[in-house]
Amino acid sequence: ATALAAGGSRTVPPHSGMDQPDESSLKDVLHLIEERFNVSIAYKSNLVKSKRVQLSVTSCQTPEEALHKALAPFNLHFEKLREHFYMITEKPAAASPAASSAPVQQRPVKGTVKDEKGNPIAGVTVKVPGTSIGTVTNADGVYAISVPGRSDDQLEVTFIGFEPQRVAVGDRQMVNFVLKEGASALNEIVVTGYTTQKKKDLTGAVAVVNIEQLNRQPTAQVTEQLQGQASGVTVIGSGQPGEAPQIRIRGINTFGSNSPLYVVDGVPTTDIADLNPNDVASLQVLKDAGAASIYGARASNGVIVITTRRGSGKISVHYDGYYGRQQPKKGNVWNTLNPTEQAQLRWMAYTNSGLNPHTPQYGNGNAPVIPDYISPDGGMEGDPDTDPSKYYVNPNFTDQNDYNNFHRIVRANKAGTDWYHEVFRPAPITSHNVAVSGGGDRGNYLFSLNYFNQQGTLLNTYLKRYTIRSNTQYNITDHIRVGENLAFSMTENPAVEINSSDAAIGHAMREQSIIPVYDIKGNFAGSWGDALGDAQNPVAMQARTRNNKGLNTRLFGNIYGEVDFLKYLTFRTSFGGEIYSGWSHSFTYPQYENKENNTSNSYSEGSNNGHSWTWTNTLTYHQRFNNAHDLKILAGTEAFDSRSRSVGGTTKDYFTFDPNFPDLSTGTGTQTNYSSRAQEGLYSLLGRVDYSFRDRYLVSATIRRDGSSKFINNRFGWFPAITAGWRLSEEAFMKSLTWITDLKIRGGWGIMGNQLNLSVNNGYFLYGGKRSATYYDLAGTNNGLTAGFSGMQIGNPDAKWESDVNANIGLDASLFKGELDFSFDYYRKDIKDLLYDPELPGLAGTAAQPFVNIAQMKNHGFDFSVGWHKQFSKKLKLNVTGTLTTYKNEIMKIADGVDYFDGDSRRFDGSNIIRNAVGQPVSSFFGYQIDGFWNSAKEVTDADDKVKKATNDPEAFYQEGAGMGRFRYKDVNGDGRITPDDRTFLGNPNPDFTYGINIGVNYRNFDFNIFLFGTHGNYIWNNVRWWRDFYSSFESAKSKTALYDSWRPDHQNAKAPIQEVDGSVSTQGVPNSYMVENGAYLRAKNVTLGYTLPAGSLSRLHVQKFRVYVQAANLFTITKYSGIDPEIGGSNITDFGVDEGAYPNQRQFLIGVNLAF
Amino acid sequence: CSKSFLERQPQSTLQEEALTNKKGVNTLLIGAYAALDGQDYNDDMINLSGGSGYAVSPDNWIYGSVAGGDAHKGSDPSDAASILQIVTFAANSSNGFFNDKWRVNYEGIRRCNFTLHVLANVKDMTDAEKQVIAGEARFLRGHYYSDLKKLFDKVPWVDENSTSYQKLIVDDFKLPNDQDIWPMIEADFKYAADHLPETQKEIGRANKWAAVAYLAKTLLYQSKFAAAMPLLEDVIHSGVTTKGVKFGLMDHFHDNFDAFTENNKEAVFSIQYSANDGSGGTGNANQGQMLNYPYNGPFSCCGFYQPSQDLVNSFRTNDKGLPYLDDFNQHPVKNDMGVSDTVAFTPDNGYLDPRLDWTVGRRGIPFLDWGLHPGMAWVRNQQSAGPYAALKNVYMQVNQDKFYDGNSWAPGNAINYVLIRYADVLLMAAECQANAGSLEKAEAYVNMVRERAANPVGWVKQYIDPEDPMGGNTEEPAANYHVSPYPAGAFAGGGKDYALKAIRFERKLELAMEGHRFFDLVRWGLAQTEINRYFNYEKTVTSDIATGNFSARNKYYPIPQRQIDLSVKNGTSQLKQNPGY
Repeated sequence: ATALAAGGSRTVPPHSGMDQPDESSLKDVLHLIEERFNVSIAYKSNLVKSKRVQLSVTSCQTPEEALHKALAPFNLHFEKLREHFYMITEKPAAASPAASSAPVQQRPVKGTVKDEKGNPIAGVTVKVPGTSIGTVTNADGVYAISVPGRSDDQLEVTFIGFEPQRVAVGDRQMVNFVLKEGASALNEIVVTGYTTQKKKDLTGAVAVVNIEQLNRQPTAQVTEQLQGQASGVTVIGSGQPGEAPQIRIRGINTFGSNSPLYVVDGVPTTDIADLNPNDVASLQVLKDAGAASIYGARASNGVIVITTRRGSGKISVHYDGYYGRQQPKKGNVWNTLNPTEQAQLRWMAYTNSGLNPHTPQYGNGNAPVIPDYISPDGGMEGDPDTDPSKYYVNPNFTDQNDYNNFHRIVRANKAGTDWYHEVFRPAPITSHNVAVSGGGDRGNYLFSLNYFNQQGTLLNTYLKRYTIRSNTQYNITDHIRVGENLAFSMTENPAVEINSSDAAIGHAMREQSIIPVYDIKGNFAGSWGDALGDAQNPVAMQARTRNNKGLNTRLFGNIYGEVDFLKYLTFRTSFGGEIYSGWSHSFTYPQYENKENNTSNSYSEGSNNGHSWTWTNTLTYHQRFNNAHDLKILAGTEAFDSRSRSVGGTTKDYFTFDPNFPDLSTGTGTQTNYSSRAQEGLYSLLGRVDYSFRDRYLVSATIRRDGSSKFINNRFGWFPAITAGWRLSEEAFMKSLTWITDLKIRGGWGIMGNQLNLSVNNGYFLYGGKRSATYYDLAGTNNGLTAGFSGMQIGNPDAKWESDVNANIGLDASLFKGELDFSFDYYRKDIKDLLYDPELPGLAGTAAQPFVNIAQMKNHGFDFSVGWHKQFSKKLKLNVTGTLTTYKNEIMKIADGVDYFDGDSRRFDGSNIIRNAVGQPVSSFFGYQIDGFWNSAKEVTDADDKVKKATNDPEAFYQEGAGMGRFRYKDVNGDGRITPDDRTFLGNPNPDFTYGINIGVNYRNFDFNIFLFGTHGNYIWNNVRWWRDFYSSFESAKSKTALYDSWRPDHQNAKAPIQEVDGSVSTQGVPNSYMVENGAYLRAKNVTLGYTLPAGSLSRLHVQKFRVYVQAANLFTITKYSGIDPEIGGSNITDFGVDEGAYPNQRQFLIGVNLAF
Repeated sequence: CSKSFLERQPQSTLQEEALTNKKGVNTLLIGAYAALDGQDYNDDMINLSGGSGYAVSPDNWIYGSVAGGDAHKGSDPSDAASILQIVTFAANSSNGFFNDKWRVNYEGIRRCNFTLHVLANVKDMTDAEKQVIAGEARFLRGHYYSDLKKLFDKVPWVDENSTSYQKLIVDDFKLPNDQDIWPMIEADFKYAADHLPETQKEIGRANKWAAVAYLAKTLLYQSKFAAAMPLLEDVIHSGVTTKGVKFGLMDHFHDNFDAFTENNKEAVFSIQYSANDGSGGTGNANQGQMLNYPYNGPFSCCGFYQPSQDLVNSFRTNDKGLPYLDDFNQHPVKNDMGVSDTVAFTPDNGYLDPRLDWTVGRRGIPFLDWGLHPGMAWVRNQQSAGPYAALKNVYMQVNQDKFYDGNSWAPGNAINYVLIRYADVLLMAAECQANAGSLEKAEAYVNMVRERAANPVGWVKQYIDPEDPMGGNTEEPAANYHVSPYPAGAFAGGGKDYALKAIRFERKLELAMEGHRFFDLVRWGLAQTEINRYFNYEKTVTSDIATGNFSARNKYYPIPQRQIDLSVKNGTSQLKQNPGY
């Protein structure tokens, strides 16, 4: 009989006797190999019958090695059919696979089995259901079998990763099969904390990210690519190349950095900005304590586990590259007034304020006159002062007296300067990646090289990066393996401050349109002059950074060794970390074109370097008993040490600004320098137990004890977690529900820690000096200082670990043979002893206050992911996946007696936009709620009279600054008047949910993919409106709204309030809801159309794969938000979502190729 | 192994033990001096509390001068609008400026307290040496508390024994403001007066006479004229500077406002500023005044602190060279409101007190050695804040290489702020004498101040060539200056009320734009009438303070809401808000 078994596939019922195998039978050993390496091994049962072998599978590093050893004593060999699939056959002398000797076989049938692309599949099990008759296909996908010859004969083909098929044979002698790829990913190996698990055995909340989808997003950063790809992960980015996005796993866990812990090839790090996305082989997000708390002290923000690629098989070379253009949004993106309109607005505002709008720039008439020249003020052609011969500007001045003698002549740009498009230009983006890899019994290797260059659409911003990687492993003996994973990166990334009205984009938003970029002689023009505001020329700002350079290099990786011993034990040691350094220099040119010019010149240079190492030692015991109990125990230690230094300085006053001249020693003026250093250490013990019974009942427990140098009196912390899972689909009573392929419920509880935000000096009362703050000119020299010291840090030696108490319940389902799968989690996190540095009462002075374990926070939410994988026909395949992430964050406590802290005052001088308050999510917007306009003077007096009456105070009034056309605020506390107590929460930038939808269609050789990402329920504080919709907000460039849709007696149904010269508490003097907008959006992050040349067409050239594609990133965005881009980044967790000149995500069009040979 | 691996000493910093010696305690004391300016620097000209540098300027240009009617906030109304709220008395307790001012003063106090705390354990000093250190620390502490007291009235008292320096006990910092702290301030100055030497090695240190003068001022603020009088007499008759020079008035009024001539015999106690001192920024360079330069001229910032028409009118003198004590606004000084700088303008040709043009920059008059003030061209928003520019805080062009600090977007300079000027001492003494009925003595002190003003040596002179303002001056006065001492017996003839009125007016003129006016008005009980009178007049000239209204509560600023919120202990705020807020 040609009985046959294919392990690993649940679709083949076990043969009798398989449940209680002899532990040393070859069959059992093969099963263990399947388990350990997640491979499928096909063989005819007669080949292994009665064969016994002595082999420790755990000692083998590769399936090839294990098979080689297992089969060596016999007349058997194996063939690798494709990745993860092996077939055991007799050595060549043996009979053909179709050889038969069974008396019951009556009629031969043969055929081929191919995949949808027409490629033959080897190793496919073909059998007659209900009998023990079966065979496997050979390397050409051909099978031959003899069927009993009954009229109802059927053939069933099964193959891992493909959907099983069953057909009636009838009287055919030739039956061909085309297998559809199945989506069952249950056996996928997932790298989790210090170990690997099969996806079906996971009991913690782990999001496994599809790397192919991840890599479609054309960016240099894996974290940016993660947006929308993993449920439970919220990513908010920016359009600036290299700008680190905000990344949060399951809400907000602390007031400081919410950066997750990244574990790259087993090495923990907080920074993966320089990781080449092409090198990523797998990425898992460990979301709950069950999955993550093995990382203890650093797990609270979630853990992202990444493994990088390694080689296998024969040597192959992959090239992946793309080139594209990034296009800034077209049109009048800021809705800016042209020069005439801007002047008219002045007339309107002054008239509304009862003031005289006359000004040298625009004359003394009833209406403004747009001058020919803005410098000299209001200059007209022919005016003597506009005579070019009088012009004198020396942009390279080094002498204040020289500057004082400038005679600027600047022609008015009557058409209006489009400052947005002066600073934002189309820009290229390109990436080239080459990887060479291969492997065999004795080891494997991968070498990759990546060049990435994204020019920013904003002048003189870019990210240029070179990365090389070398991953190798050597199998020294059967029991000893060593290897290394190393990556080196070089990064240049000049950037601007974003969302600041004082950086280039902010100034582009503020600079008036009448100002040209250049004056009559090609030097910069600016706000110098009357009625031109006080913004700076943003083109000049960026142009002056052109010679500023910087370079960061980093070596990151590890070396490791593994030894197997005593059959079930494996010891692994890994020593890894990083060595990094960076330098940058910049020159500050004197300004002359603006109203407020910094007239000094200086050169600054700085460098930093540091290293950290992590030494991890683990011992793993893994044994399976009676094929029912699977027990894995892991224990380990980990030590972490980090040291860093920085040094730099600034020198003033350079003889010339030729970029070849300045360095720190060639300046003639004041020299200042600085240096700093820091170090910390962590030492940890960890343990983990995973147990499963009959693959149905799964229990896992982890514990970690961490010690940190940052703590004095409470140095050590314990972080336990326990999880359990129940695979209902394995229960007998579920077997009849054939549409359920897999169903698992799981739950867990645990504690994660955090100490990320704690400074290394937190425990100490420290003193020192700072020239600007503690030195004093005691001797009255006017130019010198005597050293003085003061308190620099108030210490809290009692600080201890934050604990993030974490509960999770989840459900994983795979239905209709894997056609539909989904995963659902509900979690709740209570963060206790949250380390926060609450402001101390003023009596404590201004030395840095220490972190204390005082605050509390809560998050809860759902993660949901779903996939639908459908093969409609041979040619058409559809793959749809979606993720949904929600979190609801609530601050439970800030400090004793203190229930809020504020942030972000912008130009509100002392009033803040953001309040972090108990009962609210972090970064909530706070201010007055607008309740319409005061439409008549009588409305104001009526309101005031009412208050005067009620309070019996003749000086009482209803609302400060109330007046016609101004905002009427809502009396939130109902006390009959508007006071600061009426300020209320106006929304917050935390989304109710974010979602990602990925739709992939394969038709013949074409592949089409669209990825949509959206957020819902988040608000944006659009402070651009503050600058542009209110005349009184400095004389900056104003919007059409200010001129055409502001309140007038004949236009009461307006958007903006009455335009006035002076600000008021009742217009823009205090934060109010005018600036708050719905920030929801849906964006086509990526649309790709690819074409793969048919296999074989290029085989003569030894090309395995050739695919070309075109791609559009950020193709369209659907939003009600009125600003440029609703994706508002910002790194400060307690203060984000404020748009004040964002660096927008631009549309990108790319063309790329994937080539393998 | 793991234990030592986890033991990491803080890097680049010191702990208390290392400072517990003579050198350490001296260095800490200098740190306590360094808080006088309230400033820090981190590329954005911030104060020690992290807010804007100008919010906490120790010269109190906002809280003392602008709020007192000496000047307008200046610039555009929406530019640093918090100041406008304060000076129109619309500001509520959540205005962040108050919190900054509070925190910065308590930082100064903390530094003094820590110095005293360490001093107690120092072994390598004699008791006499320790007393000098303690005297200086307590002098400084007295100063910081005085500032708080003037601003906020009831504030909590914390001294060197109040808090732990080894363990964080937050409740240590939650103390009630339930007592009048004048007695403690007096005690600090008294200790300093009793223990400080007359002369010190460094000019910047407080000496005995600075302490006596400040003690007298403390008493004056409590209207304890009788107690203050002998102290002031003592200062006048025996007082010397830290360098041992007998106190006196400088012939040139402007010598008090020029870094080149500062630390002179008129400076009883100064806050020392330094420019280009290697700190990399303007944190020690009069940063609190960084906004207060003419706009669009040779200065990079920012058109704030524009003197009021009311102040300018106060410098009008009659044909006897005396001020119009009541009706000065009936004799307004001609201004260039609404006059474009391209349109000709002739300055006022009536009688003026010459101190005007060392106090106020106005069109057509030499603005130090920077040229004739061009009027509108240097003014940011004339309609809002008037046509004038501040001057006492502006550096000279001739010595700008040394005393101007261009290390930031707004100018810094090395011009000291003279916290107690000898002229101030004379006028305080005059006030005490007048209250005691010694009107002749009072008159004599006032006339000392006026005689200096009347000395043509110190007047603003015309340029030889207005196109070359550094090319020197003629002997021709820049305006029609006419100022005289009160004729002998004028005070006695006018009576005590008249004498007090004249003394108060003299303070307004002599100490204008030096941060005293508001606090003087409050202690005289005149704030409400005088400031509302000011608003009513001034709003006919400019628009910015149109809504200004001083009501009874405004004699003190509100306790910062943030501090009230931070002082909650067992559910109750330890700090109580001032009445009316």
